[in-house]
Amino acid sequence: MLETGLIFRALMRNKIGALLIALQIALTLAIMVNAIFMIQDRNQQMSRASGLDEANTFYLTNTIFGDNYNKQVNLQTDLHAIRNTPGIVDAIQINAIPLSGGGWSMSLQHEPGDDKDTIGSALYMVDEHGINSLGVELIAGQNFTAQDIQWRESGSTKWPPKTIITQAFAEQLYPDNWRSAIGKTFYISQTQPMQIIGVMKALQAPWNGWSGVERSMLVPFHMDSKNSRYFIRTEPGRRDEMMPIIEKLLAESNKERIIRRVSTVEETRQRSYQRHNATNKILMTVIITLTLITGFGIVGLAIFSINRRTKQIGTRRALGATQWQIMRYFMMENLLISTVGVVIGSIGAVALNYWLVKTFNLSPISVELVLFGVIALFVVGQLAVLYPARRAAMIPPATATRTI
Amino acid sequence: MLVMKNINKIFQTADIQTHALRDFNLTVNEGDFISVTGPSGSGKTTFLNIAGLLETFTDGEFTLDGKDVGSLNDNGRSKMRNEKIGFVFQSFNLIPDLNLFDNVDVPLRYRGFNAKERKARIEANLERVGLSSRMKHLPSQLSGGQQQRVAIARALATDPRFLLADEPTGNLDSEMAQGVMSLLEEINKQGTTIIMVTHDAELAQRASRTIQVKDGRVSELEIVSKQAIA
Repeated sequence: MLETGLIFRALMRNKIGALLIALQIALTLAIMVNAIFMIQDRNQQMSRASGLDEANTFYLTNTIFGDNYNKQVNLQTDLHAIRNTPGIVDAIQINAIPLSGGGWSMSLQHEPGDDKDTIGSALYMVDEHGINSLGVELIAGQNFTAQDIQWRESGSTKWPPKTIITQAFAEQLYPDNWRSAIGKTFYISQTQPMQIIGVMKALQAPWNGWSGVERSMLVPFHMDSKNSRYFIRTEPGRRDEMMPIIEKLLAESNKERIIRRVSTVEETRQRSYQRHNATNKILMTVIITLTLITGFGIVGLAIFSINRRTKQIGTRRALGATQWQIMRYFMMENLLISTVGVVIGSIGAVALNYWLVKTFNLSPISVELVLFGVIALFVVGQLAVLYPARRAAMIPPATATRTI
Repeated sequence: MLVMKNINKIFQTADIQTHALRDFNLTVNEGDFISVTGPSGSGKTTFLNIAGLLETFTDGEFTLDGKDVGSLNDNGRSKMRNEKIGFVFQSFNLIPDLNLFDNVDVPLRYRGFNAKERKARIEANLERVGLSSRMKHLPSQLSGGQQQRVAIARALATDPRFLLADEPTGNLDSEMAQGVMSLLEEINKQGTTIIMVTHDAELAQRASRTIQVKDGRVSELEIVSKQAIA
């Protein structure tokens, strides 16, 4: 027969130790649940698709130092050579790399004028090979044609009349029906019209922490620049093989430039989320440490309590308690303390989450996560008390008649 | 009926072997009130512990109500303790965090009685020892004599066949000791077999039989008839 009532009344007469452990459990629960929530949030961010064919793409930087280097001619020559190399699917010149941390953004608006509401978007300058080279999926409208591509002088403020945007951006511009974006015109640099000719499924911006990371647009530009990036897509599984081949090809084809920073998109993703990964590891360490401290606290309190009650346990055995009934007593006692702890902890977890939501604009915590924390701490409590409870059960009944 | 035949108990440590009981023989009949006396270290408490199934013995035969105690495992001994034996300890051994009601309730819960049955037994036994008006008191709020009465009520609550008392008056003044002794006599008259370890020769003589333990053996068995003395 369970002794819940007796245990509860006995605990009520020795509140301090039990209350301290209950508060420790509460604190652990509140921090654990919110830390897991933050880890989940980061993991969710890290698992978002960039829209690129990450496994089969890489990029490099082409830096020109020769005075006689014809940028426009050599760009075409380079791209032609790369595209015609066996194992290469396609290649483009691009101004920025998704998730790299550096790039362009522009403010766009539905109507021209300097007092209109604007929406920010990342901007990638590509040619008609952009869709294929990036490996993004065009889900509505059409791609650029060769005739759409314009040369952009450094410092120019003139924009081409066509663009391809991401679905997330289209949904923001036209919340009722994103497909209606095709053919619509919006304005860049306050007054320059730009028509949406296509919508791609996804292409992330260069900044992973930006709330508008899913809003991107392609504009049909070739850049007349001494520093430019080539973005290259290989046949599946041939990326690592093709990287040194392309680097060598370019380096040897023209000695008036250097080829550097040959990187994969996967490396860029890894660098981009380095801080997220580090934070997750720190949070995980905090969770494990707190849980261990709480577990050891329970072990310590239980051992102290058992040592203090050795004779009492012997008396219970003398009165007929089996070893299992003694074990059950301490496990039930821990369950009661844990219950108080998790009730306070659950309130604390929700309160802490409310503050995080208000302060850092996070989404609210789920009931399932709080429930997980509650179950985890009940399990930790029961596991922690198992050894002391077993020790208590081993106290011989003859202890009852000892006078010391 | 409790029968011990050639019981030996040896405590063994790494270096020392202590023979606490040697060929200990004793038969306790239904309704007996036996006092066990003897010098310190003679084996009285070891005998009581073995009789009360608190400790195992090294060899010999021990039957309790016809059941071979030596064949019982720990759970079996616990169950038999709960069902057949009541304990009264020198220092009362009440649980300080529980009130009188809850203290008496402890062995009843191990027996598995339902709440109604437990309540009836607790109230009846506290009434029997004259403490029914103090059920909600903590042990610390009672005198030593009253605490021992609660311990007796707790021991009787399960209707044991045997009541084992280890120096039940050892921590009480003479007046309180007389009161507790009278209570034990009354309980014995109502049919409970009592085995009481005591140092007090005067109290020992109030039992129907007195045995003396020396060097782990029953050195002298004296049958005292209180009626004859009276």
